[in-house]
Amino acid sequence: MSTTSPAMTAREAGPAETAVELIGVTKRFGAFVANEDVSLSVKRGEIHAIIGENGAGKTTLMNILFGLLQPDEGKIVLNGKETVVTDPATAIDAGLGMVHQHFKLVPSLSVADNVFLGMEIRRNGLIDHRAQVEKTRELSERFGLKVDPEERVSLLSVGIEQRIEILKVLARGARTIILDEPTAVLTPQESRELFQTLRGFVAGGMTVIFISHHLEEVMEVSDTVTVLRHGKHVATQPTAELTKADMVRMMVGRDVSFDRRPRDKTGGKVVLEVKNLWARDDRHLPALRDASFTVRSGEIVGIAGVAGNGQTELAEVLSGLRPASHGSALLKDSDLTTLSTSAIRQTGLAHVPGDRLVRGVDGSASISSNLLMGRQFKAPWSRNGVLDWRAAANQAVEMIKRFDIRARGPEDTVKRLSGGNIQKVVLAREFTNDADFLLVDQPTRGVDIGAQESIHDEIMRQRAAGRAVLVISVQLDELLTLADRILVMFNGRIMGEVDGDSADSERIGMMMAGLQPGNASDEVAS
Amino acid sequence: MSDKLRAFSGQIVAVLIALAMGAVIIMLIDESPIKVFMTLMRGAFGDQAKIAGTLLQTTPILICGIAACIGLRGGMFNVGIEGQLFLGGFAAAWVGFAMPLPAGLHVVVAMAVAVIAGAAWVSIPAFFRVRYGTNEVVSTILSNYVAVLLTSYLTIFLFKRPGGWSETPPILATAYLPELFAFSRLNWGLIIGLVLALFVAWFFRHTAKGYSISMVGSAPKFAEYGGIDVKRQGFLVLLASGAVGGLAGGIETLGVHHRFMEGFAPGFGFDGLIAALLANGSPIGTIVTALFFGALRNGSLLLETDTNASREIITVIQALIILSVSAQVLMKRRGDSTAGERRWKF
Ligand SMILES: Nc1ncnc2c1ncn2[C@@H]1O[C@H](COP(=O)(O)OP(=O)(O)O)[C@@H](O)[C@H]1O
Ligand SMILES: [Mg+2]
Repeated sequence: MSTTSPAMTAREAGPAETAVELIGVTKRFGAFVANEDVSLSVKRGEIHAIIGENGAGKTTLMNILFGLLQPDEGKIVLNGKETVVTDPATAIDAGLGMVHQHFKLVPSLSVADNVFLGMEIRRNGLIDHRAQVEKTRELSERFGLKVDPEERVSLLSVGIEQRIEILKVLARGARTIILDEPTAVLTPQESRELFQTLRGFVAGGMTVIFISHHLEEVMEVSDTVTVLRHGKHVATQPTAELTKADMVRMMVGRDVSFDRRPRDKTGGKVVLEVKNLWARDDRHLPALRDASFTVRSGEIVGIAGVAGNGQTELAEVLSGLRPASHGSALLKDSDLTTLSTSAIRQTGLAHVPGDRLVRGVDGSASISSNLLMGRQFKAPWSRNGVLDWRAAANQAVEMIKRFDIRARGPEDTVKRLSGGNIQKVVLAREFTNDADFLLVDQPTRGVDIGAQESIHDEIMRQRAAGRAVLVISVQLDELLTLADRILVMFNGRIMGEVDGDSADSERIGMMMAGLQPGNASDEVAS
Repeated sequence: MSDKLRAFSGQIVAVLIALAMGAVIIMLIDESPIKVFMTLMRGAFGDQAKIAGTLLQTTPILICGIAACIGLRGGMFNVGIEGQLFLGGFAAAWVGFAMPLPAGLHVVVAMAVAVIAGAAWVSIPAFFRVRYGTNEVVSTILSNYVAVLLTSYLTIFLFKRPGGWSETPPILATAYLPELFAFSRLNWGLIIGLVLALFVAWFFRHTAKGYSISMVGSAPKFAEYGGIDVKRQGFLVLLASGAVGGLAGGIETLGVHHRFMEGFAPGFGFDGLIAALLANGSPIGTIVTALFFGALRNGSLLLETDTNASREIITVIQALIILSVSAQVLMKRRGDSTAGERRWKF
């Protein structure tokens, strides 16, 4: 094992243009093949994206590279030298660092203590906290990763926790950094900051391997893209040569359309009428300001906006989970702001919540049981207050078929399902409720591309069935695909309305940033 | 199913670890663990009378355990069962000695009043919990001390049997809960406990209300979103739990002691809670764990005569079980305590 520092190794290995090379890697879990004959090389100084649907084998491949798993076949070449990566220590010695999908920080320790966990700086046999804080501060400044080294991790946001994970990797001298779905837990702003950091890394001669299934991000930040599908390598190409549609096709294995859905105009009657609605957030600050709009039957109204501009509060007020501070929301003549959640549901609301894992399901319960929520007092699922689990299971079997939920059966535990399938369980329950008004918050967040398409199909079917649909999404593309009208929210206000057919993402983007359309150049809305 | 099985085998391992550590402690006091465990077995199941004695001890643990299960399933940690048991016991005694009623009716009324007393006692912490969000663990624990001292006060200063110990006058024979066998004080309380366990298990699994309550317990935000009045259910769950705690006390009074006395039925409320935790909140499982704790209690009576070990070794083993079970729970949650896992993977 070489004892030179990773930085030295990188320079010495000058002729090696490739930082990392995997040759014919195969990994089996029992009979299941997670990676099959995957070959791939990553050039030094590039941001190399690895994309693929959930379960495509991305994490497995990176775990092999980092020595957390042993391949059944294949070779790994690091800095031009074939290396048997027996464990992460070997990988770290070769200048590799990995930021995992799930962070592994100790919440009760300080930032600096976490960064140096396992490689503590010692003085006289004791941990030298001051030196650790200093070193952390130095790293943080050098790489533009702002943290307070003395803060306790339990007090920090996920975005900052991720910076700490990156600092940990840097402190160990990494020159090639692997990030496994780093943006899944970040807000768009945090993602943008992260990309800035990554660009800084490669500008300084480091190499970044970046796993994602958000294609926008991949387009934005990567130099090269590798696509995996069902454990196999599909392609490695310069990002500039690819369109989003190409990537989707390679990931899913077929064409997936995100074009605007064709539709007939249907001018139904007003189902929901929101008038001058105000609400406060958890800190009691006004978060929703004077919102007024209507949703008609057979119409999809989209709410666009950067996350945290009052959309969550709007959804919560409409579903009875948050009190309104002023105004009304009439659903078929009942004011939702005065009703309890159960009364609102009886009035005719179906709700697909934005935080589906907390609100939308009981992860520890079966699919049958999750689909029963809200129906437990109704026939045929119960009679005289006694449940008929057979009817519940039959319902689940039917929904699994109709909504194409990939599960072993109605008794499968929901938390075992993938994100897309969990969302389908929620949709299955809510869309079969006979409610006139559907409130759909972030319909496809964290959902595989193939599943996104079928969720969009289902929403269009609800529209065709004459339901009034309000779709809230931070993905503008999604609204452009689905919505008849798009309302843009900024800082709790509805900044304006755009017709779905003639929508122009530039104009919407400006409103999302708080600029009034028309006089966008100079005036910022309050 | 496999989840349940895994949880169950985990509990067994926890008990075995606790017993092994108990064995080490017994060896430290120069006694043979095998001899101690054999003595315990003999004391618990040695003959007909011993088995009946074990079941007699099991009864209040079982009923208190069911009370705890009701709370746990609804997401409420009722640590005040001990106090509810004392109040229920006192209330039943009072009806028993102060309110003559025809046979049959008398015992039913006395039990009903015990149930009401338990529910009324827990309604105070329950109210603070749903109205102000006061942690029910703390308030129910504290309510135990008040309950025990209050019943002592009532017994000694208001209702003391003239010339006797710190106890109320005996209840009238019309209020006796009938005994099952001539050779033991084992009574209908056991049957009531078993039926109640089956009923509660059925209720949670097979009724719409039970479903709603379980959802409040396992996924409160989901329940709220789904249109269940979470606060109301929480209040009712605590009330039901307290009512069953009161019932446990009533049965002890009417079936075993036939009076209320100071320091009556010590620790049954806590043993019941442990039994319920060890059974993962399953009422059927609690039948088994309550029997286990009942056997330990009854078996321990022989320990001091037949071995060098003190009866307190039972308390030690129970404490070790608690430690071992909680260690397991913590280990299972270890993954969750890391920051990234707080959000689910999409
Ligand atoms: N330790 C394991 N044992 C069995 N199967 C596994 C294991 N790790 C991953 N898998 C399976 O391998 C496949 C690929 O997983 P993963 O690499 O995590 O996918 P990705 O990161 O692309 O979403 C999945 O179907 C997963 O269930
Ligand atoms: Mg992964």
